[in-house]
Amino acid sequence: MTVRSTILSEIYKIAVAQKRDISTLHDDLPLMDSGFDSLCFAVLVAHLEDDLGLDPFSSAEEIEFPVTLGDFIALYENAART
Amino acid sequence: MYKIVVTGGSRGLGLGIAVRLVEAGYEVIAIARKSTKELVAAQEVANRDTPRLHFRAFDLSDIDGIAALVKQLRAEFGKVYGLVNNAAVGTSGILSNARVEQIQSQIQLNTVSPIVLSKFLLRSMMAGGGGRIVNVSSIVGFTGYSGLSVYSATKAAMIGFTKSLAREVGQLGITVNSVAPGFLDTEMTSEMEQSHKDTIARRSALRRMPEVIDVANAVEFLMGEKARNITGIVLTVDAGNTV
Repeated sequence: MTVRSTILSEIYKIAVAQKRDISTLHDDLPLMDSGFDSLCFAVLVAHLEDDLGLDPFSSAEEIEFPVTLGDFIALYENAART
Repeated sequence: MYKIVVTGGSRGLGLGIAVRLVEAGYEVIAIARKSTKELVAAQEVANRDTPRLHFRAFDLSDIDGIAALVKQLRAEFGKVYGLVNNAAVGTSGILSNARVEQIQSQIQLNTVSPIVLSKFLLRSMMAGGGGRIVNVSSIVGFTGYSGLSVYSATKAAMIGFTKSLAREVGQLGITVNSVAPGFLDTEMTSEMEQSHKDTIARRSALRRMPEVIDVANAVEFLMGEKARNITGIVLTVDAGNTV
């Protein structure tokens, strides 16, 4: 699975587990409008750390939380490359 | 088998909790600066058939190292189900005479360290679909005690932390509770005069002081399935000292 497909798959799984109605996922979707709250994103980050072995938010540099889903995926794709 | 991290698990109350949890069927990872002969003896009993009581050395005042510690624990033990934040230092003395560094280091170890450790271990519980955090507070966090102002402040902080975090992660199936022991006969109270301990016992409803096993039993209860609908509470174990 690619980083992108892993992230999308986890979002769908968490939406079901947390009983959230989520918007149609596309790169320009603002995360604020996705149907996820901050706790869902915390769960997503926890799952992605397990799946991908990556946690871009705990790196030494201060990282702004991404605005769109595309930004979120790009953050993980960049972390996977480095 | 559920895995539980117990901080300060090499002696005193922490070791008592670790041993009780092993007896209850959990696999326990005790964290402390260094091992003790009491811990080694407990490990010999607990690990007779399969390894159930592990020890990892770590100085919890090293806040910056906690993320790496959790990473190492996850790699070695997999998902962690529970955390008992027990490690604390109980320096007593008149506040006006205390050194500022001493105040800071006590707050760092008793409050900042368990909060940061919870932050990182919570992820394992989130990914695992549930978990338990038990914070060891103290009755002095709500009754006060002369000479323990800083310690009391840190223990009161853990109660506020418990209640807010319980609300934050409840919907993920994670419970967060505190136990508030009364004065126990451990190394932490070794400097207390016997006459003082007698007074505490005399003023308690049950006319005695609680023991380590009483608190360990409370932690085991909160860790278990029977406590699945209990979160955000402070379970006082003080033989009726504060009633």
